Amino acid sequence: MPREIPSLADILADARVWKLKDASAAPPQPVWSTGKSALDARLPGGGWPTASLVEVLLDDSGLGEVQLFLPALAACQHQAGGGVPWLIWVAPPHEPYAPALAQQGIDLGRFLVVRPESATEALWAAEQALSSGVCGAVFLWLKGTDDRWLRRLKLAAEAGGALGVLFRPERHRFESSPASLRVLMTRGEDAVHLELLKVRGGRPGSVDLR
Amino acid sequence: MPAPAPQTPGAAQVRQLWYAAVFPQLSSEQRSAQVLHRCARYAQRFTSFVSIDPPNALLLEIKGSLRLFGSFEHLCVCLDAGWNELGIPAYGAAAPSTLAALWLARCGERALIEDPAALTGRLAELPIACTAWNADRLRLLRAMGVARLGELLRLPRAGLARRLGEDAILDLDVALARRPAPRRAFVPRERFRDAFDFETEIESVAGLERAIEPVLARCVRFLRERQAGVQALALRLRHRTAPTTGLHLGLASVTGEYRRLRDVIAQRLLRLELAAPVRAVELISGPLERLSAASLDAFGGLGNAGRDSAAQMIERLRARLGDDAVYGVSPIAEHRPEAASRRVHELRRAAAPAVAGKGGDESAPRPVWLLGEPLLLSGREDSCSLRRGLTLEQGPERIESGWWDGKGIARDYYVARRAHGARIWVFQERQSKRWYLHGVFA
Repeated sequence: MPREIPSLADILADARVWKLKDASAAPPQPVWSTGKSALDARLPGGGWPTASLVEVLLDDSGLGEVQLFLPALAACQHQAGGGVPWLIWVAPPHEPYAPALAQQGIDLGRFLVVRPESATEALWAAEQALSSGVCGAVFLWLKGTDDRWLRRLKLAAEAGGALGVLFRPERHRFESSPASLRVLMTRGEDAVHLELLKVRGGRPGSVDLR
Repeated sequence: MPAPAPQTPGAAQVRQLWYAAVFPQLSSEQRSAQVLHRCARYAQRFTSFVSIDPPNALLLEIKGSLRLFGSFEHLCVCLDAGWNELGIPAYGAAAPSTLAALWLARCGERALIEDPAALTGRLAELPIACTAWNADRLRLLRAMGVARLGELLRLPRAGLARRLGEDAILDLDVALARRPAPRRAFVPRERFRDAFDFETEIESVAGLERAIEPVLARCVRFLRERQAGVQALALRLRHRTAPTTGLHLGLASVTGEYRRLRDVIAQRLLRLELAAPVRAVELISGPLERLSAASLDAFGGLGNAGRDSAAQMIERLRARLGDDAVYGVSPIAEHRPEAASRRVHELRRAAAPAVAGKGGDESAPRPVWLLGEPLLLSGREDSCSLRRGLTLEQGPERIESGWWDGKGIARDYYVARRAHGARIWVFQERQSKRWYLHGVFA
């Protein structure tokens, strides 16, 4: 007796089957250009995803990790029609320097630094800010955290429509993460090397930024 | 040379009628302020504009009130009844100008003058003491043979101004309604203050949060009746044995909304460790402030259900993390890098000042992170040891400033790159030739 072959429609209806074409063809949310064409080309939709969590793994500050996002943030603040979205930095490793941010076109009237005492407080603050709906982006610097909190951050980012960026040390690269984009930053001889570890709706790969 | 006398306006031009109440019993300064406040609060039921004239008088604008109360006599009867009830009788008089009413009332005349043209005639009879000018001036006038206001008003204006001073002339102009004299309105200082004794002592923070809700609801009703909001609240938790715990709550903007106040209290209570069970709670509001149009939400947030305002978000962060943990940064037009940025805690939506006038090159690179103190890099002078670790990419940018306040600097700034890749902002002090790390290009 010949085995019954399931129809294509049945296969597609199976929740375990994921259609790559749909995912890459139409990005669900708008994106913000990174200002670097080499990087834009690798990201689905051509820029940083909004309303999602992005994870940047790096060991040393000074690779231009904040610089990756500043053009997008400035553009997002200036394009906004009604209220200018807020930018919130939670637990930055050093003091943000106002002239540098102003130079990049960041509206400092809508910029906030939060310095919580513990990692849990920092995660709580980031979650509150992400889900408030008035923030364009929330940056969070962390040493380590657990998966459960990251999931909460991701949900908060999706609910509030904000871009959550999490900066973590490189040693977390082999842990699983709910972030929709994971980037490992290292410095090569004459370029910054970005390793896209996980790209939702796209393919992992690497980019060199000069 | 004093300004020429302004013209007396016609009756139709005068929009105001002032009633002055003078309390002759009030003489001691300390008590009178309190009593006057009480009287002013009472007087507010007769008019919307009450002004206090220390040390012992009130001024009421009653042009509109006359129609409401039917006649001046009726209004006077009502006012007098009130003063007697408060236990301090007053003399009252009404005139188109504040000072005329005051002067008439000080002489104990119950008069009503509605026509400004009649002022000169009526005031002429009054003794000059009713002006309450200082004793020297009154003595001088008496020496000149002036005892009544009429005699004073007949004297030439220029001479009076020279002998008595400009302000005396001004007073006369105001009294004759020739010159407007704006008054400051009395605004009652109110606070919400209510205590609540619990039936059983409350030991947990969660229980406390629920127990406070009725008091908070009363506070919100109180605010709504006055169309006011608060920017600060104080909560006092009383214990049976331990001393009272006081909590101060600050809000990012004026509000009278139940949900927001409750959220802030809840977040603040989360941080609290109860020293002892709570027996009673007292809620005290800060000074009442007017709600701005933006803070009134007629639809109760229907449009953006579940979404917060930025003020709410900041409040919630501050309530839990502390006021100092949440701040903004603002650039300052200043050459010295360490002085060009500062923290700002009052988060008003002020336009960020332009960084213009910095003098230096606008396109000169500035790092995102600036170290609090420049960090001395090992290696002396322009030596090889330093060169091995760092590559200078851009510079020098010479910054030499601040010689005038003792914190002068003379530095050459460079953008450098470390061997393993971080881009940093370093400078060489020009005198000592030492190298410092000052910022990181993140």
